[in-house]
Amino acid sequence: MEYAGPTHELQPMETSTGVDNRKLLMWLFLASDCLFFGALISTYLLYRDRSVVGPFPKDLYDIPFTSVSSFILLMSSVSMVLALAAIQRGDLRRMRVWLVCTAMLGILFLSGQAYEFTEFYNKGLSLHQNLFGSTFFVLTGFHGAHVTVGVILLLSIWVRSMQGKVTQNDTLSVELMGLYWHFVDIVWIIIFTFVYLLTGK
Amino acid sequence: MKDFFENPALLIGVPMLIFGLAGAGLVLAAMLPQPQTATGALETGRFAPPGGEAHMGPTPAEYVNIGLLLAAITAVEVAVYYVDALAGLLVPVLIVLSLSKFLLVVLWFMHLRFDNRLFSTFFTGGLLLALAVFIVVLATLKGSIT
Repeated sequence: MEYAGPTHELQPMETSTGVDNRKLLMWLFLASDCLFFGALISTYLLYRDRSVVGPFPKDLYDIPFTSVSSFILLMSSVSMVLALAAIQRGDLRRMRVWLVCTAMLGILFLSGQAYEFTEFYNKGLSLHQNLFGSTFFVLTGFHGAHVTVGVILLLSIWVRSMQGKVTQNDTLSVELMGLYWHFVDIVWIIIFTFVYLLTGK
Repeated sequence: MKDFFENPALLIGVPMLIFGLAGAGLVLAAMLPQPQTATGALETGRFAPPGGEAHMGPTPAEYVNIGLLLAAITAVEVAVYYVDALAGLLVPVLIVLSLSKFLLVVLWFMHLRFDNRLFSTFFTGGLLLALAVFIVVLATLKGSIT
């Protein structure tokens, strides 16, 4: 029998768990990432007030600005889930629109983070300045790295879709992308409250 | 209120209670009867035939409404932050609001409310382990959340 070559279409499959292994793997990854960010947030809270030299959180945080960033990331979650709803309906054109929207909102969030980092650095906070700086930049930097990876994945799905390589059968790809993106969003929900609001006053 | 921050039992107990409730909420939500798909399949899109409806989750309009609710909660969070009269209640109020946003995203946007219980179990396990790390680190090294 002649080998038909690889196919990008997802074929129905039977697994011992009754669920797709790729989705199960994504949830396991997200569960492990909970531990990763749990450790980083704990470390931040532990060392935040133990800096012997400034600047300190109260000197730097710009809550209105960060609130807008949070709003942008929340809205990107809405556009992501609308992209998934679109491909589930078979509307690939709208899926592409919502994917690009999500990526653009992600880039906007990253731009805001870059601006914030620059402002903090100009005011004297660096990775080596004090314990607050070390833990803040590591925590929010890793979150930003997750957002960056998400934006790259979103754009790669969008490009593949434009090339006709993403079809209605590829719902799972968009669903897994959405799970990752929403996880990044919920991590920011926690960071916004515990790192900014609870410690910035 | 100052005593609250200096009392390790309250300081650890309150977040533990809230996150515990979050975990319980996830588990309970996963235990609710799962909606049947249009094709009678157990799961979401993966096994749905091409062109078939993936699952009976929220509609796009409901997603937008949830997004608006998330935005509104964020606005309330920021407002609470600036209201001096609520300074004493800042910690519990912000944690509850944050938890609400967390659950909305996880249960509806990530579809744990509608999806297989196995995913809820794994994710709740990760969350509880993260919470354990959080509590142990702050309790043993005398950290605080404020």
